[in-house]
Amino acid sequence: MAGTRRRTQKDQTRRHLIEVALEQFAQEGLTTTRTADIANAAGVSHGTVFAHFPTQEVLVTAVIEEFGARVSTRLHELAAGSTGLRDVLAAHLQGLKEFEAFYARLVIERRLLPESAQSTFTLIQSSISFHISQAAGKEMEEGTIHPWPIHLLFNTWVGLLHYYLANGDLFAPEGSVLERYGEELLNHYVGLTGVKRC
Amino acid sequence: MKTCIACGMPMTEPADFAMGDITKAYCRHCARPDGTMQSYGEKLDSLSGFLVRTQGLDTGAAVDAARDMMARLPAWKA
Repeated sequence: MAGTRRRTQKDQTRRHLIEVALEQFAQEGLTTTRTADIANAAGVSHGTVFAHFPTQEVLVTAVIEEFGARVSTRLHELAAGSTGLRDVLAAHLQGLKEFEAFYARLVIERRLLPESAQSTFTLIQSSISFHISQAAGKEMEEGTIHPWPIHLLFNTWVGLLHYYLANGDLFAPEGSVLERYGEELLNHYVGLTGVKRC
Repeated sequence: MKTCIACGMPMTEPADFAMGDITKAYCRHCARPDGTMQSYGEKLDSLSGFLVRTQGLDTGAAVDAARDMMARLPAWKA
């Protein structure tokens, strides 16, 4: 009984640390936030952070995994009722809006992160490319979008989003880039990929 | 909610599970035609091929990323 209680408490502390780290990384950056800052913000000792995450690399990877699980699940749910590529992209935007600050940091700092964290980022992107490829494949068969190679279709969309997010200070210094430009970017991309009917 | 032990995909609908069987711990993309789970080698090939096809990654980078991802999934953890 006491063992179960201890395990539950340990799980709660771990979850709390991940939540606080998500917030801190979004505000201060993944590579510049110190574990001491996370301990302070979480109201625990520095040693408690290390008891759960022996290195900074383990912590960063765990937080990116948690972010990835949430975005993938959200996209999976939102895309479940989708009828086409536009719906899937709108679902992607919606999922990212909920974690925009963290995602923008991830995009900017990806190459500076440990390899395990970089692979996790690739895995997150693969859950998105999966939904896009499913919807796009169907629309290509129906002739409603151009038969672009899937990787170009995916990279054109993600490249557009990442450019705006990475330069958010220029596009939306006071707020959310995706709130302000999401619809415009979506319409532009759909216009690029769609086949015009005579 | 369950996630596939072999690729991490969320499984929310019966159609997401191998052969539509919700007692299975892996998804339809990780099953062979007879319903059994793909081997490590088969999954590494299909996952890295998927990364190349859908994200345009270099083949070597895709294999490295796939290997690293798989090492953290329950089906392939040492």
